[in-house]
This record gives sequence, C-alpha cells and structure tokens, in this order.
Amino acid sequence: MLDIAKKAMAAAAATGVDQAEAFAMQTRSMRIKVYRQEVEELVSSTGSGVGVRVFKGAAVGYAYTSDLSGDGLKAAARAAEATMAVTAPDEFAGLPQPAKEFPELDLYSGKLRETPVSDKIAFAAMLEQTALERDSRISQVEAATYAEGEGVVAIANSLGFERQFRESTCYAFLQAIAEQDGHMQTGISFTTGRELEQLAGAVTGQEAADRAVSLLGARQCPTMSCPVVMDPFVTASVIGVIGAALTGEAVQKQRSMFAGKDGAPVASPGVNLIDDGLHPEGLATAPFDGEGVPTQRTALVKDGILQGFLYDTYSGRKEGKASTGNGSRGSYRSQPHVAATNLRLLPGTASQAEILGEVEEGFFVMDVAGIHSGVNTISGDFSVGATGRLIRNGELAEPVREVTIAGNLLKMLESVKTVGNDNRWVPFGGSIHAPSLLLAEMTVSGK
Amino acid sequence: MLVDEQTIEKVLTAALERGGRFADFYAERRQTNSLSLEDGKVEKSSSGLDAGASIRVIQGRSISFVSTDALDERSLIAAARLAGESVRGDGATVIPLTAASGGSVHQVKIPPAAVATGGKAGLLKEADAAARAEGADVVQASVGFSDETSQIVIANSEGTLAVEERTRVRLIARVVAARDGMMQTGYDSIGAHRGMELFASGDPAALGKIAAAKAITMLDSRPSPSGKMTVVMHRGFGGVLFHEASGHGLEADAVEKGASVFAGRMGEKVASEKVTLIDDGSIPNEWGSNAFDDEGVPTGRTVLIEKGILKGLMYDRLRALNAGVGSTGNGRRQSFRHPPIPRMTNTLILAGTATPEEIIRSTEKGFYAKTLSGGQVEPATGDFVFGVSEGYLIENGEVAYPLRGATLIGNGLTALNNVDMVADDFEMNIGVCGKDGQGVPVGSGQPTLRILNMTVGGTEV
Repeated sequence: MLDIAKKAMAAAAATGVDQAEAFAMQTRSMRIKVYRQEVEELVSSTGSGVGVRVFKGAAVGYAYTSDLSGDGLKAAARAAEATMAVTAPDEFAGLPQPAKEFPELDLYSGKLRETPVSDKIAFAAMLEQTALERDSRISQVEAATYAEGEGVVAIANSLGFERQFRESTCYAFLQAIAEQDGHMQTGISFTTGRELEQLAGAVTGQEAADRAVSLLGARQCPTMSCPVVMDPFVTASVIGVIGAALTGEAVQKQRSMFAGKDGAPVASPGVNLIDDGLHPEGLATAPFDGEGVPTQRTALVKDGILQGFLYDTYSGRKEGKASTGNGSRGSYRSQPHVAATNLRLLPGTASQAEILGEVEEGFFVMDVAGIHSGVNTISGDFSVGATGRLIRNGELAEPVREVTIAGNLLKMLESVKTVGNDNRWVPFGGSIHAPSLLLAEMTVSGK
Repeated sequence: MLVDEQTIEKVLTAALERGGRFADFYAERRQTNSLSLEDGKVEKSSSGLDAGASIRVIQGRSISFVSTDALDERSLIAAARLAGESVRGDGATVIPLTAASGGSVHQVKIPPAAVATGGKAGLLKEADAAARAEGADVVQASVGFSDETSQIVIANSEGTLAVEERTRVRLIARVVAARDGMMQTGYDSIGAHRGMELFASGDPAALGKIAAAKAITMLDSRPSPSGKMTVVMHRGFGGVLFHEASGHGLEADAVEKGASVFAGRMGEKVASEKVTLIDDGSIPNEWGSNAFDDEGVPTGRTVLIEKGILKGLMYDRLRALNAGVGSTGNGRRQSFRHPPIPRMTNTLILAGTATPEEIIRSTEKGFYAKTLSGGQVEPATGDFVFGVSEGYLIENGEVAYPLRGATLIGNGLTALNNVDMVADDFEMNIGVCGKDGQGVPVGSGQPTLRILNMTVGGTEV
C-alpha cells in the first residue's frame, strides 16, 4: 500500500501544487450472522482506495478513487487539483512536518486470518446458545454476529512522510429477545479483540439474556426528579457526545458547550477524562493519525478541571498549538477531521453494587435512545429516551420503559457523585472505556 | 455497460457451481462531488470515484456474499467461487439474461457533471447569504452540497438484468442563531433523484432562509414541559416518526423473525381508521425513488396499512422467497459492499380531510411538533424516541410560544391508534435511514395530524 500512496502522491505533486498527500487503505472484512444455530449470513469483502489531498496558495483540494491503476491515480490527482478552484484560501491549511518518533504498537494478529471460518461460525452459534439457555424466557436471539477486519493504512506526503501500519480487529455482538405474556424486551452485549481467542465467550451471551430478562414487565414510571445511576453502556453514549464537543474545531466554530472553559472546573472532582490513542485494548489505537501525526494520550478533564481540547494540524495551527494526533479519517473517502481516538473516563473505586447502595430512591438507566437527536451540543441541553430499573433502598426494583431523562450535560458532569470501577470498552459511537456513574439528580419524565 | 452480459452469466454460473437456489450480481460505479461552506467560506471540496461488484448465493434461508472492488472477469469469477464455496447440493441453472422492463422513470435534465464546481459553490453562497440576511441573531451558517451519479448493473440466476443510472443531488443548511447567551440551531434540506434543475427556482435561498427562521424562532423558546400531551405533528417532518414508529416494524426481516409488533397481525386493525400508510419507491424524482430496487425488481407502491388495517409488508427477494410471495421492490443496499435487506423507499401517510387550522383550533392544550431532529425505534417492542428541534405549546386552540429541549417518546402501535385527526396538507421530506450499518436515501411524508396522549419529555417537571 505504501507504494500506491507514494505513486498517488507523486502524481498529485506533478500537477503543480505546493504540497501533496496520499492516504491509501486496503481492507479485508468478514461478518457472520447465526440464527437458530444456522449461518444466516456470511459476508466477505475486500477493498482498497486512495485519497489525495493537495494544497496550493493556501487552498485545499481533495479527491478519492478505488481505481489504483496508474491512470486511476493520475485521474484522482487531477480531480483533487480541480476541486481547489472553489475553496477559500486559508493561511492555516497545510501538511504537518513529519515527526521523528512514533509509538511502537502491537495492533495486528496474524492468527485472525489463520483461524478457520468454522471456528468463527461456532463462536457466533455459541453466543446464541448461551443466551437461549440462560433463561427460559429468552424466546430468540436476533443477530448473533461475529465480525472481523484487517487492514493496512499507508500515508505518503511531499514533506517526506512515508509510513504504513497494519491492524486487525474482531468483535462479536448479540441481541437477545425476552418474552413474557406477549410482551418483548431486548438486551444486547458485545465483546472486542484483535483475534478470536481474545473475545469473551459465554458471559457475553449471558449478559445479553440477563439484560433482556431484567426488563420484562417494564412500565412507565411517574415523572420525578431523582438520583440517576448510569450503567457503563449509557455512560459511554454520553461520553461520546461530550468527546465530540471537546475538539478544537467545535470550540473554534462556536459549536461547543466547553468554549471558553479551558482551565476552569467543568465537572465534579472525581471526573478524569482522557483521549488515549495508545491503549492496547482500544480499537481506535494507531501509531499515527489520518495525516501522519503520532498519536498520544491527551488529558481532557483532570480532577474536574478542563485541561484542553483535541486538535488536528489545521485546528491546532489556528491557535498556535501542535496537533494532538487527532486528525481522524474513517476511510480514504474522507478528509481528515478532528475526532477522539479512544475516550476513557478513568475508573473510580466503587463497584456498581456500592453505587446503587448509595441511592434511596432513584433510576438505574440501562439504555438510552435518540442520543444524537436529543442533545444540543452547543447548550448541552438534552432529553433522551431511557429504559432501566427503579432503585429503592439501594436495590434494583421494577423495570421501567418509555420514559425520558433530561437535563444539561454540563450540569450533569458537575453533579457526578460517584465514579464506578467497572469500566468496560464500548465500541458504539466511537471507542469508549466507561464506568457506571451516580448523578445527584435528573428529570425522569413518565406518566 | 459496466460489465458485459457474457461475463455476468459466467459469474453467476461460477457462483452456483456447488449448489444454491439463487445467485445474484450487483456492479456499481459511483461518482460523487461534495462541497461545504462555513464562516461564509467554501472550506471543503471533494470528488470521488468508487467502483466494484458483489455476488450473493442463497441456499435455504442463508446467504453467502462476497464483494470486491475489481471489475475484471477473472476477479469476479474468483469472488463468485468464494461466495459459492460453502454451498452444497443441487444448484439452480442460470437462465439467460433478459433486460428487465417496468422500472419507473426519473428524468434528469441537467446532470451534475454538466455544472462546474464554481456553479455548485454558488448554491452554497446563495443559501448562506439568505440565512445571514435574516438578521443579526444569525451567527453561523453551514451549508453542504452533494451530488452522486451511479451506473448500476443488477443480474440474477433467474434471468433478470436491470441497468440503471441514478443521479441524486442534495443541499442542506444548518444555521446557528444567538441572543443573550442563548444559542439555537435551525436545519433544512432539499434533495431529489434528479439533476441540478432542482435548484433552478431560487431554492438555495429559500433553504437558508427557512433554516435561519427556525433558529431565530427558537431563541424565544421556553423549556418544554413533561408529561402526557396531545401532539400535533406538522406536515412533512413528522413523516419520519411514522417511518420509525411503524415503517421498520413492517419490513419483512423483522416480521419473519417475530421481532416486530406487527408479526402475525395481517388483516387486523393496527391503527386508527384515519391512518393509511404506503411505501412507494416509484414516485417520479423523489429522493427515495429508483427505477429498480437493488435486486433488479421494479419499484412500486405497497399499501402497508389501509384505514387502520394491516395490509402489506415490505419484502426483498430473500424474505419473499422464504414467505412464498413476490418481492415488493424493497431490497436495498448502501453500496456494492453491502448485501440487500428489506428497506423503506418513500413512506407516506396519506392526506385526510381536516385542515391544519381546524386541528390546532380544536386542541385545547397540546404540543405542536413542527420540526423533528431524528429518532430511533426498537422494532421488537415498537418503542420509539424523537428529538423535537422546533416545537410549540398549543393553548386554547392557538399556537402560544416555542418550546425547546423536548423529546417525543412512545410506542408505534399506541401512536398509530391514537391518531384522531388528519389534515389535507401532505408534504414530503428527505433523509438517510440507517439499518444494520447501511445508510440509504429515504423519503417520508405526511400531512399535519394529531396524536392523542403522547409522552413529551422535557426539562420542566
């Protein structure tokens, strides 16, 4: 892939631009879905492509192609140059100077490819079976899924950067459906790794079943203001939204609730949030970001105080700051933009049971819906659908559905009373490592 | 044509070498252009090309699917053999290909390629200027333009060959208004399965103006109350509520597994008699329309709920084969990299006879949801949730003042049964629907209507 990147970069440089960069990617992926112990779907995919970014007179242009022939690369180079006709000149645009040192990371396991497909099918089937056997009220499992991907990312730029890395990831996921008296509830669980052996087996199936069963008989509860405990899945959803507001770009464009709060308290002292591009278990870990800047560990909130923001090269230059290695790129189709790598809300000391024990009457949230439509990232106001259990005298009580929880994210961070020690990786909406949280008070709207 | 007929027949034959009851082939070449403006400047401009193909083999109820971004015969046959590798048993015979007919027509007058990038940038600037002209409260406008032109070839072992060129253009505006420390956003979008002629009639300016007006209106909003309320859904945007609340549960994959509240209820009353819900992927030039679905079946009109009675479901080929019925032309996919699954196209609640004024006048106290910001549903339970980006309080039959921070939450079946008034002011809206990690363009439409007894989640108790 590095050869392709170099060729594409050379073709772009030859169009007479000031700077050129090529980001090449090759991927192989597979997904297996099992239903009633039979393979329902086996999907395999291979693909590759290159994205070309050019700069001239402070304007920027971009084009991508999946045609990696010599002519295809030249066509992409010309297309990138042509798109510059309309972009406004911007003195902060440009490539990063190549770094000298990069983190050494072990992101690839050759075992993933070597493991027979039949073992992977058996793994998905086992997840389904353990969920079904866990409780007689589990009527079926929808989408017991095993998925894997491996890829090579290569970047070459006209300032002399030429590097590539290889990675492999896999995960398994299931949704169990519990049924009683004609009513259904669902529960999910998942596990992630870099090879099949690293995935957690039976416990994953059991957890999905337990979550579904524990919600059977759920009803709306009365509207109330009360303490709220979020489980790690829910904390992760919220942290994902908060992370998006902690980028330099969001602040510069006045789209962030954290604008102007650098160095100020924004959360209760127990809150420590970092962006960790180096964590071995994080699926967003990489030696360098989408523009070749080494990844790093960046403190965002320390003991409740806002430490700073995440930057790519462009947004960093706007403030005279260095990139934090957060120039993110989902694929060769997209230009770099600022985004978190692995967000980690560092664990506290309390177990989930101890946290629940602190609450006399409250709400334990197990799932939130509509987080992307229900949050105003500028003001921090949010209102989302929620499912979970009531808490009474420190114990989980009746299941609850069809309610909303509402408040303001900034006030919520300030109201964190206890941070749990039960962190887990959640691969949805980013790569997030989150614990249970106790919040002093929120509005729960029901009947 | 992207891949010639002879090659396709060889590929399908290779796919069924070891067995399988059905095989299909999908090849695509997609060119895209996108531009985005913020701070009054065009910040990003990009153009792209993606091409590739996929082969699927169906045996029993399971599928094996392989995609590749190579379009030469050797790579395609290798991919076909890989797709057929795990299949055993008697294979279906490949029937010689015949061009499919009956697809709907979506005329494109000005292809996006015929307009220079500068012309497209002009649309962004027009929308931006119109938004900023709405007043000093407007502090930011982001405008995005995208076009997409795809050549598609679909073929299968039953002899179907469908060839289609699809062109879509879209313009979106997001405007931020601020006053006295309060910030609000307004959003609007237009898009269609057609060419640049969509923007001929001053639409970019109207778009910017509408988005700005929404943001400015919401500056005067008060925090939304919580609790059970009568909800009036404004025409257009509310259609997405029915897309989520009932549409997903009417897709045959959910019903087949019993993971839908509509499973086993065909012919029963599932909604108020005021509700007729249809899916129609053949409406000329509509955003969610295509001539054929992504399995080569002509798109068409499917009645899902008629006057409250459950009449039909949305099928792709696999689920139709399983159920022993015909596909309704709802097999869709994001790209050649994704297997087709049952999906909505344009999903509509048909107009009623009331007027929107009557509906508001007859509502003593209620919540008027004018713009929804999106939402989601759990098809197994029918529980849904929606954010409201522009809402109002209705008091004594009049729209009183804007409300912010509200979420609508409820259950699909309950909401369908609680529709008690439907107006005559039908309007469509566009969006991108996500399911199984695949995004496809969908339209949803609806007249102004009223739903009794819905839960509004706000910040005020």
